[in-house]
Amino acid sequence: MKWRKFNIIIHRDLGYLCFGLTIIYAISGVAVNHIQDWNPTYVLEKIVSSVNLAGIESADNEALTSSVLEQLGETSELKNVYRQDADTLKIFVVNNNITVDLNTGSVFQEKSTKRPFLYEANFLHLNHPKKLWTWFADLYAVSLGLLAVSGLFILKGKKGLAGRGKWLVGVGFVIPLFFLWLYS
Amino acid sequence: MKKIVLMFWLLVLGALPLQAKTEIYGKGVSIQEATPVSAILDDPDAYVGKTVRVEGLIIDVCAKRGCWVYVAGDRQGEKIQVKVTDGEIVFPMSASGRMAAVEGVVEELKLSREQMISYLQHLAEEKGQPFDPDTVTDERMIRLRGIGAEIEG
Repeated sequence: MKWRKFNIIIHRDLGYLCFGLTIIYAISGVAVNHIQDWNPTYVLEKIVSSVNLAGIESADNEALTSSVLEQLGETSELKNVYRQDADTLKIFVVNNNITVDLNTGSVFQEKSTKRPFLYEANFLHLNHPKKLWTWFADLYAVSLGLLAVSGLFILKGKKGLAGRGKWLVGVGFVIPLFFLWLYS
Repeated sequence: MKKIVLMFWLLVLGALPLQAKTEIYGKGVSIQEATPVSAILDDPDAYVGKTVRVEGLIIDVCAKRGCWVYVAGDRQGEKIQVKVTDGEIVFPMSASGRMAAVEGVVEELKLSREQMISYLQHLAEEKGQPFDPDTVTDERMIRLRGIGAEIEG
């Protein structure tokens, strides 16, 4: 088999194999790039409201928690309760952190829900699983390198590396160098 | 080709996280004996630069990047921030309200009064809590530079 034909086979099959993860990483990459502007993994909702805690003993965390959750209509699983100080009660339920001012009855809720697809995409892209995924992601990175190199040698002639290819490859190097110079 | 596809899926499934009861972040926790948060806050100079293990309830998580958590202290109202390098460890929002053991190096952050007020005001605004700049009496912040953590599921 001629080396160029072998190169095309490698490029084609690696391309098929890498397609899924490349799309996942591309979408996650854009999402994470803009982390200054938004949370790419969770939808956060902040709600200010109030509850009436009259008649409940202020030291009775259990009764206070039960009343707050009932008045807010919060039915998610209770994780923990923390008495920050005499006037502040923090109630942690799944996907909701509730801070109650026991003096005024003012309530601040911080609800978080996972962004569909992006949560999972970022989980993989940012290598949160660690373990075996690290090796798999390394293998994927090597595959991308192979795809890039084999892509250089797909075509011959004027449209190949010897022709316009060399200029475009050059531009591909110059762009990151330009930004490195710009921000140095 | 079918064998290759089968092996691929076995690899992917193997990489999925196990549903462990305790989740480990960063390098995990190797120190066995916990240092009370109160001991660190009472005498920070004795701990700055030392690697310690603290245990407690996670009462706040950085909502934007998961780059810090606050661990409640052993005395009411006290807490300590655990700051991690962005991206190296990312604490999930679900960590709040969970018990954790955290290992990190005690560090002192020296800020100007304006910087400290601005930082604490920002935190209070994020959490919808009132903030009085007059309550800022100390311009140094004692926190842990987090190395690893174990958070109960």
